[in-house]
Amino acid sequence: MALPLPPGLTQAEVAFVAEMELVTIVPRQRFESIHLLGGKTPALRPPHRAELPLWLALLLKKQRRANIVCPPWLYPASLATVIHRETKEDPAAFSPPPPTPSRAHLSAPGLARRVAEHDAGMSAPFVPSCTADAPAGYLPYHWLEVAEALLAHAGDDMPVAAGEIRSLLRDLVEVRAAKMRSSAATLEGLGGGLTLLRGVGSMELAESRGFVLEVVDGVRKIGASLEANRREVEEMRGEGGDDEGSDDDMGL
Amino acid sequence: MDIDIDDILRDVDPTLHSVPQEKRDLQDLTRAWVAERSAPELLHWPPGGLFERINNNIKRQIERVEDMTGDMDPKTNFSLIVIQTELERFKYLVRSYLRARIAKIDRHTLHYLSTDALRARLSEMELAYATRHQALLHNHYLSSFLSSFPPALQSLNDTAGQITMIDTPDLDSAVFIRLLKDSLVRGRGVDDDVSDTYDEGDILIIRWSDAKTLVAIGDAELV
Repeated sequence: MALPLPPGLTQAEVAFVAEMELVTIVPRQRFESIHLLGGKTPALRPPHRAELPLWLALLLKKQRRANIVCPPWLYPASLATVIHRETKEDPAAFSPPPPTPSRAHLSAPGLARRVAEHDAGMSAPFVPSCTADAPAGYLPYHWLEVAEALLAHAGDDMPVAAGEIRSLLRDLVEVRAAKMRSSAATLEGLGGGLTLLRGVGSMELAESRGFVLEVVDGVRKIGASLEANRREVEEMRGEGGDDEGSDDDMGL
Repeated sequence: MDIDIDDILRDVDPTLHSVPQEKRDLQDLTRAWVAERSAPELLHWPPGGLFERINNNIKRQIERVEDMTGDMDPKTNFSLIVIQTELERFKYLVRSYLRARIAKIDRHTLHYLSTDALRARLSEMELAYATRHQALLHNHYLSSFLSSFPPALQSLNDTAGQITMIDTPDLDSAVFIRLLKDSLVRGRGVDDDVSDTYDEGDILIIRWSDAKTLVAIGDAELV
């Protein structure tokens, strides 16, 4: 009855979550709105575009009732930009996540404000980042899973041959996997308590979760007595007041 | 008079629409599930009747499916497939969430029953389950071997001698968190403690004990 899995989402669970990402579709048939548990689906009227969760879009696609619009970041040009950024411009870091969705205000054009849904504490997969108006040149949190699903089930809706996109994706996966591995080197000297992984993807986290977190925990356990000593010293210094602090500096 | 500023803004500006309740519930359920799957300890049962609401919705949806299967109209057939697919996804989330919680309760039953603050994290059903399970287990131990021990050695929650018998989860385990708004994060490390401001959307590796308050006030979520 109890779940026998280790902590952290498995790859299958990550793929499940990624299926809740919204994508844009072009329906081929009329389809009335259905009342689902997660809210009403929009009524589909060809050729008007609509936004649906990925699992539903894939279901419609398999039944040839709709075409999926390729998100802008999955175009070869966008992927090439990201690869260039990851390899040439900033070879140490992951490319930054997409900017928070914002929309110009009707009454004050030019002044973009955050989309209301975002203000209300929504996060991936419920912030639209794989729809037709997602920004190009950024990888959303679920990039790998969504890209794989789209290539596997909607390859004919892609702007170029699926093979071309796939080879770009493979490059990207390798570049980023190398970064994830080399981040272990910084983990080893995890002096500070925080490690920033800005722009990392969900699947990448799931793949290296066991290793990375195990290393961090291992370092903590090995250094436990060291840390306790340091805290003791700091506490004593704190009690000594500010005068003591300057003495210590001179001692160095 | 209690007028929410958001309500007024919404009247004036239709683009500032609020998130529908169903979508919000799905977000909350997903977040609770991911958090429960990742956190080293049992988290609070979701407040605000989230679970009861979702369970009721699932029940109602099942009734709808039963009604719809009654009339065999081929047109509703596809909607039925969609509804059932979604229903299964919801049921999977709920089931996996509850099972993840039960796994934690099973592992550290005595710990979660030891103080009122910890008991408050469990739902009524979980509390009943944990108490009953522990009682059964204790009786079983008693009848099979504990009764032949001297009385002083028979308890299962002895804390004498500064060594407690109650196993507790490791709250300093590292977790991944994502910030939901720009915030100041403090993290303790072996060589150094860090405190720095990070941006919304940043993903950090941090000890759970340091991330706990951020997650509790909704400034961060576990991923």
